[in-house]
Amino acid sequence: MRSLNNADAILASRKGLLEDQPSDSRYETEAEGGCGVTGFACSIPVRGRHIFEPSSQMHNRGNGRGGGIAAMGFDHRMLGISREALNEDYILQIAVLEEGVIDALEEQFIKPFLRVDLRERLPHVDDYRDIKGLETAPPEVFRYLVRVRPEALNAFVEKKGLHGLKSREAEDEFIYQNSFLINKKYYEPYGKKLAFVLSHGRNFFILKIVGYAEQVVQYYKLDDFKAHIWIAHQRYPTKGRVWHPAGAHPFIGLNEALVHNGDFANYHSVTEYLRQKNIHPLFLTDTEVSVLLFDLYSRVYRYPLEYVIEALAPTMERDFDQLDSEKQSIYRAIQATHIHGSPDGPWFFIVARNDTGAGRLQLIGITDTSMLRPQVFALHDGQVQVGLICSEKQAIDATLKSLSEEDPRVGTVADRYWNARGGSHTDGGSFIFNLDETPGDPLERQLTCVDKFGRPISVPAGKVPYLPGTVYYLMPVEDGGRSEASRFFELQQPDELYDYILEGLKSWDYSGFMECLKDIRNWALKGEAHFDVALNTLTRLLDMRYPTYDKKRRSVLQMLNQTLENMLRNLPTLEDTEAQGSYRFIDWETRHLFRGPSYNEKALVIDASLFPPEGDNCDSRLLAEAYLRGWRRFIVLGLRGQRFHGCGLGADSGGVRIDIFGSSGDYLASGIDGLSIYVHGNAQDQLGQIMKAGKLVIYGDVGQTFMYGAKGGEVYVMGNAAGRPLINAVGKPRVVINGTCLDYLAESFMAGDPHNGGGFVILNAMTFDDEGNAVPLANPYPGSNLFSLASGGAIYLRDPYRLVDDQQLNGGEIVPISEDDWRLVLPYLNENEMLFGISIDRDLLVVDGEKKSPLEVYRKVRPRKGLEKTDDGLDEWT
Amino acid sequence: MNRDGGFEFPLVKRTPSRFRNPIGKYRLNRSTACIACGKCVEICPYGVHSMVKGKVVVRNHYLCVGEDCPNPCHEACPVKALALRRNPDFAVMGDFRWPPDLIVSTWRMAEFGQAPDKGLEYRIGESGGGFDKLRIVFGPGKAEDDSGDKHEGAKADLGVKLNRRGDNAHRIRIEVPFYGGGMSYGSVSINTMLSRVKAATALGTFCCTGEGGYPDELKPYDEHVITQVATGLFGVREETIQRVKIVEFKYAQGAKPGLGGHLLGDKVTPGVARMREAVVGYPLFSPFPFHSVYSVEDHKKHVDWIKAINPKALVSVKVSTPTDVDMVAVGSYYAGAHIIHLDGSYGGTGAAPDIAKKNIAMPIEYAVPKVHRFLTEEGVRDKITVVASGGIRTPHDVAKIIALGADAVCIGTADLVALECIRCHNCESGRGCARGIATTDPELMDLVSLDWGAQRIVNMYSAWCKELRRILGRLGMKSIRELVGKRECLIHLDYN
Repeated sequence: MRSLNNADAILASRKGLLEDQPSDSRYETEAEGGCGVTGFACSIPVRGRHIFEPSSQMHNRGNGRGGGIAAMGFDHRMLGISREALNEDYILQIAVLEEGVIDALEEQFIKPFLRVDLRERLPHVDDYRDIKGLETAPPEVFRYLVRVRPEALNAFVEKKGLHGLKSREAEDEFIYQNSFLINKKYYEPYGKKLAFVLSHGRNFFILKIVGYAEQVVQYYKLDDFKAHIWIAHQRYPTKGRVWHPAGAHPFIGLNEALVHNGDFANYHSVTEYLRQKNIHPLFLTDTEVSVLLFDLYSRVYRYPLEYVIEALAPTMERDFDQLDSEKQSIYRAIQATHIHGSPDGPWFFIVARNDTGAGRLQLIGITDTSMLRPQVFALHDGQVQVGLICSEKQAIDATLKSLSEEDPRVGTVADRYWNARGGSHTDGGSFIFNLDETPGDPLERQLTCVDKFGRPISVPAGKVPYLPGTVYYLMPVEDGGRSEASRFFELQQPDELYDYILEGLKSWDYSGFMECLKDIRNWALKGEAHFDVALNTLTRLLDMRYPTYDKKRRSVLQMLNQTLENMLRNLPTLEDTEAQGSYRFIDWETRHLFRGPSYNEKALVIDASLFPPEGDNCDSRLLAEAYLRGWRRFIVLGLRGQRFHGCGLGADSGGVRIDIFGSSGDYLASGIDGLSIYVHGNAQDQLGQIMKAGKLVIYGDVGQTFMYGAKGGEVYVMGNAAGRPLINAVGKPRVVINGTCLDYLAESFMAGDPHNGGGFVILNAMTFDDEGNAVPLANPYPGSNLFSLASGGAIYLRDPYRLVDDQQLNGGEIVPISEDDWRLVLPYLNENEMLFGISIDRDLLVVDGEKKSPLEVYRKVRPRKGLEKTDDGLDEWT
Repeated sequence: MNRDGGFEFPLVKRTPSRFRNPIGKYRLNRSTACIACGKCVEICPYGVHSMVKGKVVVRNHYLCVGEDCPNPCHEACPVKALALRRNPDFAVMGDFRWPPDLIVSTWRMAEFGQAPDKGLEYRIGESGGGFDKLRIVFGPGKAEDDSGDKHEGAKADLGVKLNRRGDNAHRIRIEVPFYGGGMSYGSVSINTMLSRVKAATALGTFCCTGEGGYPDELKPYDEHVITQVATGLFGVREETIQRVKIVEFKYAQGAKPGLGGHLLGDKVTPGVARMREAVVGYPLFSPFPFHSVYSVEDHKKHVDWIKAINPKALVSVKVSTPTDVDMVAVGSYYAGAHIIHLDGSYGGTGAAPDIAKKNIAMPIEYAVPKVHRFLTEEGVRDKITVVASGGIRTPHDVAKIIALGADAVCIGTADLVALECIRCHNCESGRGCARGIATTDPELMDLVSLDWGAQRIVNMYSAWCKELRRILGRLGMKSIRELVGKRECLIHLDYN
């Protein structure tokens, strides 16, 4: 019981701090909307400029009223201190908003108690106005590396009765309380704002300004400053033309920095809960209370991380029932104790934590139980390991691209991308990237990833990444070249070229593969027919799953992408009216040449990279305009945060085809009525909203609220859909999802009678193994609320073991499928097989190696009958 | 009076009730003592009595102004054959917010295009709060005769510009400081929708479709339609968004914040189900909130999306009035909205659940000044149009809410009252409305014809315009713009 008593002692020792703090009958936050959050952890320290790109891409998630970054895990030389000082000292950073207060502050709070090993004023750009768009002068920041003087610490322990604590624990608490006192004296959210503590933990610091997050990097000259972990936050507060930087994220506990996207409905009750523990927030945001909760659970109560996460995002309902009984009893106790402090509402946290006890740095992403905020995780393994957590996949790709430009050991594609399922028994809604010290180089850490329950997330072992710049020796082969790609071009055989490359991957090293790609690219330049063969083959290679043998799939994809982009960027622009071929290229630089197609011009290739993400000049608007001018075939590449592709073409856009390469954006295909869109890779959130007709094919996973309010269309998803797909869909959407969904699939589905022109969803619950084979998922549908409150349509579920049960439904019922049902879905599964190579006979209908009848493999979820109509003659419709 | 800055206001045409015996405030009982002398026919200024084949009958009870009559027939009758009584039907209509006086006076305006000058209270209700406790303070100047067209305000400009961002979207001006609020196809009949839209077209303003789809019948009026993108997304397609000049996001309704729209199964007839592409006979619930919008940056993305579909459209954001409504408003502005539409708690038809209607959301007369002040402090007040709605029943309510800081208002229930709604609060049940307004039943909905309905609404609004001009004239203002935010023009009966 020692630690519990200590916890009580710590909390009791804070009592004095709060005496003059008002105990409001109603605690309010400053109204604040959501934001964009991004973070990554890297096995080696990397420069601050890499947080720049993802932050600026998420501009639209902030409004320039608050941006902040945290950096964790440094090279001691960059700070000009010894390694011991870096590990042992607290980095106290104080932002000064009013000239001249720092001396008094130092006299009162620093000099008497703290041993200062380093004091510096942070260098910054001379004039903040030199930074484009920065309107408010950022604060002057003073950095101190400090320890608490032994005599001051003894006095503190004595006075506060903290004898039970280890010296370091007491010192932590001293630093925490000292900062609270500084903030209390120098920062009143509604009054004078003189100075405040930015951060005070070990081996990390925080900077925040009134502006965008990337401007922090610019202003404080962090472009070249290196750290293992970076997190950033774009804030979108809705109040105030002049805002105070202390309201920006990240916020601190002690050794952790937290950024947050979303907002709580129960700020008042969380604040009251904290008040009972003698903790009082000072900065009027729900993010602050989140990190105070985190610090309370982890440092004061010393919960292991799993329990901290449980206290924040409790496991509920069916997921709770799925836990083993031991976990249930622990979790029940945690929930009973802390449910009042559990943040309610949409939120997503990214936490950078220095677990000083274990000598480990952590990057943690936690999503709320209802998964109301978007979140994507990614893991990149190799000589340099990177773990990434972002609001959007586009930001992840931007980070990787930025990193790979500096260090070629980082690829532009991650090994794995995935979403968390909030408060679940499957992954706990949280993933943790751990950075542990390695015996050799002190600056090289080992990155591992685990879920809330400590289960590791790993990448296929035994694969070598591609390293650009490495010399791959070409073995001289007879006839000179090693690649035989040429003959497939001569004979116009894209399919055989594809097979040849798959076969070739077995024996080639990267140089062989590269050689082949080079051949393909060269052939592509030789004329339209060859270009088509090359485009077809490369697209298929990007889309499909196949064994890559000793090579990493991400490296193969990276090289394919490069070749493809290179090929497309070499196409003639619209200026060139004499050019051969039917493809024309347009980008931001050449957009003034924009015109309708001449008679032999068929396809417009749009390089989106420099277009703004939305508004009058964005590339999706250009695409819609091009459609009106007569273009019908589009290829979009180079996406960096651009969205809305396929929107605005209006009714009856049949015959149009758009291919999207790279990181596609939100709201893609929302509203389309007739056209086809092929997304070659994972897709983001809010796709296919109110979609009316047309075809949407996604060679990957798709994000939140997919096809919300859709009316129709034919949609094929190769992987998973995240939370809440097909909510409120009506009419006749016909959707094949080959993976599964996190939760709330087809809530309030109203798509009539599937056998009579209505809509349905086929959920195949398959995934791909490392060799590219389609294999069934262990759990066809892990969530609850399947087809809840639906009144029409159906879900056809591949569930040969009958694992989905009635508890997961709400208003629906599970019935066996009929021959009619199978006839209905078969054409869609055939198309699915064509698109993704998931075979009906060899994959879908095979159970335990044995082919079964579809009636045994599939099940149907349909709405339970509504109110039975009576026969008294009053019902007029039947 | 019909020429106003180039815009031709529609003519008022008398449009009597659809029913043989319209409900009025008074009844005149004629006893057998009547000698058919014709005295009452002669002296009645309102045409209540008429002489038919040598007999005198009370033809138009509903026009009688009772005690307010300058020539009371029942006193003049030589044989005392006439007795003036309150009409018992009158007293049971409506509620405190819409007392029978307001209902009947609205009917009167819809029939004659003129506010009733006697016998009915047409300016305020009896709720004992809200607009009913606010009074417009006219200066000490004498109330000159302002009933005709000669008074100072007769030429006052009632028009309101809706796009103040100065961006590429349409530059829209509405000729009257109000437009029609969203009522979906399904909650009201197609004839009701068309009547409202047709009237809006005639008045140079707009009318919103609500969230039940965009029936093709509305196509001729596309220029005057606001289409709603609400949480259920029923009937929302690219095509419908591209068809209109204003797109309204409905985040919440003042009558039921925290709840989405709902249409009970009985009203989901085959026609409604077809329009919404849903299943006949099943209730339709719109979720709350938007599943794709859980915070303000999602909202911005949402607005950007609509602008990607229809770059010229004005974006209106309809929200209820939570305590932080000012933040919501400024957030909407920064997300790119042209119009912030605040829907207060007094509104809603019968279909909103009472528990919601009567207990949540801030009254609109608190929300509007709060938002107005906040936007002014932010320096963006002149960049966004503030539209208020929720329980605005009379031209005086319009003037009051504008004086509190709104630019224009949005009207729903008054339109229905013009179509002879009796406020029985049974909009949601069965096939809906006994008066053929809020119904989807094919027979019931034929009770309202398009021309009749449109003219009734035009008449009512013409009366409103006259009243507003009188108010402006009395306040010495030339334009409704001058009234915006002039709180000194108001007093509260309890707090001043």
